[in-house]
Amino acid sequence: MEAFFQAMLGGLILGLIYIAIAVGLTIIFGTLRLVNFAHGAFYAIGAYIGLVVAQHIGVVWAFIAAPIGVALFAVFLDRVLLRSFYDKAPTAQLLVTFGIALVVEESLRLIFGATTQQYSMPEALQGSVTLGPITYPAYRLLFAAGVVVMLVLVWLFIERTNYGLIVRAGIRDRVMVQLLGGNIQRASSVMFALGAAIAGLVGAAATPIYSIDPATGFAFLVPSFVVVVVGGLGSFWGAVLGGILIGELQSLTNLVYAPASQVVIYLCMALVLLFRPQGLLGESEVIRQ
Amino acid sequence: MSEARATAGARRNLVTDDLRFALLCALGIAVFPFVLHVFRGYSTLATQIAIMSIASIGFNLLLGYAGTLSYGHAMFYGGGGYVAAILILRFMPNNPNLWLAVLGAVLATTVLALLVGALTVRLYGIYFALLTLAFGQMIYFIVEQAKDWTNGDDGLQALPNAILPFGRWQLDLTTHLPALNLGPFGDLSELRIWYVFAGIVLLLVLVFFRSLTRSQFGEVLDAIRENEQRSTLIGFNASAYRLAAFTISGALTGLAGAMRALFDGSVPVDSVGIDRSGSFVIYTVIGGVQTIFGPVAGTAVIMWLENVLSATTPAWRLIEGLIFVGVIVFLPRGLSTIFRQREISPSRVFARSLRLSTEEPKAVIEPAHEGHRAGPMSIIETFKLGKLFGHFAAVRDVDFKVDPGELRAVIGPNGAGKTTFFNLLSGTIAPSTGTINYKGRDVSRMSGTSRVHHGIAKAFQTASIYPDQTVRQNCRLAALAKVQGSFALQVFRRSVRLDDVDALAERAMARLELLDVAETRAGGLSHGDKKRLDIAIALATQPQILLLDEPVAGMSKDEARKTEALIRKLSTEMTVLVIEHDMEMVMGLSDTITVLHQGTVLATGTPAEIRQNAKVQEAYLGGHSQAELAHP
Repeated sequence: MEAFFQAMLGGLILGLIYIAIAVGLTIIFGTLRLVNFAHGAFYAIGAYIGLVVAQHIGVVWAFIAAPIGVALFAVFLDRVLLRSFYDKAPTAQLLVTFGIALVVEESLRLIFGATTQQYSMPEALQGSVTLGPITYPAYRLLFAAGVVVMLVLVWLFIERTNYGLIVRAGIRDRVMVQLLGGNIQRASSVMFALGAAIAGLVGAAATPIYSIDPATGFAFLVPSFVVVVVGGLGSFWGAVLGGILIGELQSLTNLVYAPASQVVIYLCMALVLLFRPQGLLGESEVIRQ
Repeated sequence: MSEARATAGARRNLVTDDLRFALLCALGIAVFPFVLHVFRGYSTLATQIAIMSIASIGFNLLLGYAGTLSYGHAMFYGGGGYVAAILILRFMPNNPNLWLAVLGAVLATTVLALLVGALTVRLYGIYFALLTLAFGQMIYFIVEQAKDWTNGDDGLQALPNAILPFGRWQLDLTTHLPALNLGPFGDLSELRIWYVFAGIVLLLVLVFFRSLTRSQFGEVLDAIRENEQRSTLIGFNASAYRLAAFTISGALTGLAGAMRALFDGSVPVDSVGIDRSGSFVIYTVIGGVQTIFGPVAGTAVIMWLENVLSATTPAWRLIEGLIFVGVIVFLPRGLSTIFRQREISPSRVFARSLRLSTEEPKAVIEPAHEGHRAGPMSIIETFKLGKLFGHFAAVRDVDFKVDPGELRAVIGPNGAGKTTFFNLLSGTIAPSTGTINYKGRDVSRMSGTSRVHHGIAKAFQTASIYPDQTVRQNCRLAALAKVQGSFALQVFRRSVRLDDVDALAERAMARLELLDVAETRAGGLSHGDKKRLDIAIALATQPQILLLDEPVAGMSKDEARKTEALIRKLSTEMTVLVIEHDMEMVMGLSDTITVLHQGTVLATGTPAEIRQNAKVQEAYLGGHSQAELAHP
């Protein structure tokens, strides 16, 4: 029974990481109509920035430097490269962002080496907390709480601000937003940076739990895409539902039959795509894009 | 006169052309290992490149010609390798027959591709990429778990040398060629017979692939990539074409996988892994999609980088990535046509969502049936036809009947549901309620593609044409669909050999007075010519009912009158339904007018009757129908 609760908690934490990456993908898709296969690279860059800063300056600074550094990189990427791909076919976007992911991964490998790395938390956060029948590392619980708070803030930003309105409207009809005079250019840059910063921050924060190597970004990206598809492209709550579902599915399968823990999420996605292609909470109109 | 002789001459030209191509390829393949030697490549690498090129060519068929990105092709590559290896290890360890092993592998991967393709080809973009990736991962899982057969993570090792029975000989492909010193180009004996074998297979694949891209099949594949919406509504079954491309692509990749396994004497588990799938993307894109030699060149360059340059610099993968991004950004030939946003036939999406949401509200109100009794005379007739988008009824309870040979105008204020109604008739979208009878037969559930073959064709409100092809080619495609049917696996025959196609296309162009611009690129035509071309395309399918959605919209007065005269002429030979806002034209042209308002039929009658109808005047002038005013 204890193992079951452990797995449930583990699945929740894994799911939260997927949700954070998936929400970033959703925001970027909404404003930029860009299918971003390089989003995992943002996670990885954030993790490495966090690693370096935490080891040399301090853990708190890592959590500040990672999102800012990644956001800056994202804006740079957007300006020099991705901007001309907004209106291209999805296949073009997949290819160019796949290429960027490749370049980032190999650059990280050259700089940091291929080995798995990790940094540890200050003493105060290294303890464990006992919750009823199970004992769980304190930092993991703090991490989960932090991601939830961050997601709430992002949700408020999308639902309550003018920028958020542009995102929501952009998911439905990008051209109309432009025609109505919404400054979608600036909103795009802000949203791209935001989506990237979320991934970067989560990357830095998750490294003490999951460690990092140059391929980790891609390893987290693919399940996050699965989350987006299962939940429904363009739906915030779809990403949340999909993330929890996929995280738990993976974690619980790991408990029952470990080798199947990867394949089960693909099976889940294939079933969703075959029987409900717009995703669990997605609207059927969006899939046409 | 000497047309027959000219055709025969053209055929002979095609044959010599094919022969020249084959000789060129053979020459390239023959010198390749010696050139590679100069660049410090070894003979094993030459053979591996030849084999992997076959897979890349297969991948290019899907990415370059069908225009979809698969991220799971390793399932075919690795799958082919495992099947070949298992066949040899399990069933013929003492007498390993290469033909049987390869044939078995190709058969198995063809079946796998057919199955996976059937489930995936209806999806696009990221959905297609992710779903193929998902199937790839499932196959990886199966391979990893079926340890008894595949040896799990260790892969299959130490395959016996396969023997190639060839006539009286039993060829051991690992035998070296005779010694012959070629100076800086190495020595002939560095090569094994394997290279000759792989080279011949590659040569055959190249010739086959070139023929395929120029065949009728390749022509239709291009058309579907360029404008899927148009292609389905001239009568091509886009899914069937994409499935065929996917299957051929998978089979070629499986062939390469089997050959590589037998050449290496081992199958690593990585051969079904995600990185292998990615490598085909890289090889093909770097070399240049939509070219015959591009994928071969890309494979050679990247494999050389991996195997030769990797010894010199650890940054070789970074170099590979940078080349990849560079190629995409600076758009080589071919990529740009894939990158353009495509018009996807909405029928599929709607049909799907419809099937899934069967619980639609069916508030059927008994309508007045006056004047719409089912008569044997009507060519097309609808009963209580309705279409819901979410909770919005774009069309509801439409009873509509058209006699053969009639010219019927459908008018109504903006948002009256006219275009939706036409889409229901053409089969682009499926109805939520009611039925459509065509010549007494219920066609409500028939696809748009089938309806074209039964004689219902449509020209779009926004001209839907193939911008990159000439006017003649545009019309030929529609005629081809008529002549060959919705799908034909004609991977060798070229459509230029079909005289009926030319005749049909010629006639359609003549009827719309487009012969002057027959050889012009359609994308460069004036607005009016594009609209007329769209009608000509519909006409080339030899319809019995022609649906024209605002045929003169946006035209100058002169052009509009000219088009009107053309439509009048067409209407003497077939039933024509026209949506139009140009009242002058509607009143002068049509036999009968149906007025749609807020999704329902407001009135039907002759032009004079409609002009006098108070309800119609109210709808156009007041914006509210009297019915609505009476019952708020």
